[in-house]
Amino acid sequence: MILEAKNVLYSYKSKRDKIVLKNVSATFEEATFYAIVGSSGSGKTTFLSLLAGLDHPVSGNILYGGEDIRKKGLNYHRRHNVSLVFQNYNLIDYLTTEENVKLGGRKNAGELLREVSIFREDWKRNVLQLSGGQQQRVAIARALASEAKVLLADEPTGNLDEDTAQDITEILKESAHKMNKCVVVVTHSGELAKQADVVFRMKNGELQVLERIDDSSAQPRS
Amino acid sequence: MASRSANIATKDSTRQAIGAGFLLEYNPENRSQRLEEACEKILELNPDGQGSYGGVHQEKITVNGSENWRTTTDNSFESLKLDDIEKIASVGGIADYNITTVPTAVKQANFERIEDADADQTYDFQGVALIGNRDMSMDANVLSGNVAILEGRMITKDDTNVCVISEELAEKNQLEVGDYLQFHSVEAEEPVQEATIVGIYLVKEQMEPYMSGDTYRSENIIFTDLHFPEKVEQDDPLYETAYFKVANVDDYDAVKEAIKKVDVNWQWYDLIDNNGNLDTMASNFNDLEKISNTLLLVVTGASFVILFLIFIFWIKNRTNEIGILLSLGIAKGEILLQILSEAVLIGVLALALSFLIAPAVSNAGADYLVGQQAGQAELQDEMDAGKVATDYQAPDLTVTNVETEITSYMLLIDSLSVGVLIGLSTCAASVLIFRKNPKDILSEMS
Repeated sequence: MILEAKNVLYSYKSKRDKIVLKNVSATFEEATFYAIVGSSGSGKTTFLSLLAGLDHPVSGNILYGGEDIRKKGLNYHRRHNVSLVFQNYNLIDYLTTEENVKLGGRKNAGELLREVSIFREDWKRNVLQLSGGQQQRVAIARALASEAKVLLADEPTGNLDEDTAQDITEILKESAHKMNKCVVVVTHSGELAKQADVVFRMKNGELQVLERIDDSSAQPRS
Repeated sequence: MASRSANIATKDSTRQAIGAGFLLEYNPENRSQRLEEACEKILELNPDGQGSYGGVHQEKITVNGSENWRTTTDNSFESLKLDDIEKIASVGGIADYNITTVPTAVKQANFERIEDADADQTYDFQGVALIGNRDMSMDANVLSGNVAILEGRMITKDDTNVCVISEELAEKNQLEVGDYLQFHSVEAEEPVQEATIVGIYLVKEQMEPYMSGDTYRSENIIFTDLHFPEKVEQDDPLYETAYFKVANVDDYDAVKEAIKKVDVNWQWYDLIDNNGNLDTMASNFNDLEKISNTLLLVVTGASFVILFLIFIFWIKNRTNEIGILLSLGIAKGEILLQILSEAVLIGVLALALSFLIAPAVSNAGADYLVGQQAGQAELQDEMDAGKVATDYQAPDLTVTNVETEITSYMLLIDSLSVGVLIGLSTCAASVLIFRKNPKDILSEMS
């Protein structure tokens, strides 16, 4: 178990009485591809942001390697433990493809770009000159450039056509199975969820396991 | 800042250029008081109220059957006290001094004066006017640049029985340097006093006549040594003004303070700053200094507001980038440092540009004010044109150039100010973004 959510309760600061996550608990393993599905507003993106250390829960803990991520700091967690991929790619628009990848870490950017099928002629181009699918590949390459063992993706195929979405899903799957990463994807896509090793459903702030390949890899607790 | 320093430099250098000094005159208001005091003293000493004291004479006269009092003064009452002048002249920092007599009407004995046939001579003395100077080079007319020597030389303190005449008078009488002029008083033809012509002067503009009539017309003004007028008039001297030249203009204020401590009856006198048009200029430049100071504050305040708004806009536009960097685990402090570095880089470029432009802007500002000063002086001349009496002519001053320079001190202060300004405004603008947590920033991006 590399990442764990333990009795996580979350509500927005402005609406403390509205509970977004109700004592959610879950564990995540390396080399596993997780999908979290659920309707809009169910709290799945909030849960992912807590796993990513972008915010902290009102109560409960997020543990990485058994240690509360707040102990070393959320910045440290985001920098060393997790890498993120977003629906809207979140690339820096004035940098080139290669420069964006280098932001993720020290790994060879060219090699990573090749792995996600971005060819050399596009490496020096401004990222805005790439297609949506290419930009998402770059975003994944940036996430893979990190030494982090956990890759968290929020609707990575949400803006992409079916074929491209499948390509991206493949890359994420490979990241989990070939690079031994723990890949957690929040998605509305049934196609993507079907290919996940473990699928969680977030409903009214509660997390349930819908499907699992191997019972030992994840357990719903709420 | 360059404008601010430019005006100070100009003020001092101008004062140095024209030579600074002080003018001593009797206080006209105090004269009445002195007169009353003398009359009281006469009454105290003489039960019938008639008599003299300190140059004041009081007598009873009968006019048309009615009794009246007549009070007259002589030169000993009206003249500046030589002792007082010498006391002031001995103050440290005074390089030299001059005493100027009142224009004294005398009659010419061996030459003809310049006359205007159309002028009303009813009350004229039919003579010429002598102005005695201890050192003619410090006469107000000379200091102002209105009178200059055409031939020969000026009168110095060691001269006796010498004079300097106008070129018109010399021409009319075919006089040359080395010739003699003879004078006697208005009242009596004897004794006749003789003065050697040591110089011939020319004027830029006619000197204003002291009184109506040709006695005091500009061409008939004859400069003499200090004591010559009293010899001709056969009376006590009548010193109207004294001028004290300051050795080093940088000590001007200190010398002024020292003079004020001299043991003389200061109620009698006015000590006038004699800086020519410097007062007007200084006023303008002081105004510029005030404006510069106010401008510095306003610019600083406005810059902060403008920079603050620019940085808010800038940072707002970079929310996307900040969110991404935060999601990559880069600390807020590091991101702020990066934004600050970029702002400082722009600031350095702006500073370099401002230091290139500042001298030209400062010079333009200073030149404008000098132009204003010249305009004011011209206006003043026009306003004074109709006046008859002229006791003091301000030096005719023209400033043709104003220099400014950027000092290393200014560079340092400017750089620090700009640095602080950028730092404060960047941090203040950043607070609006950085007080949010990364999740909220990323949500905004979405």
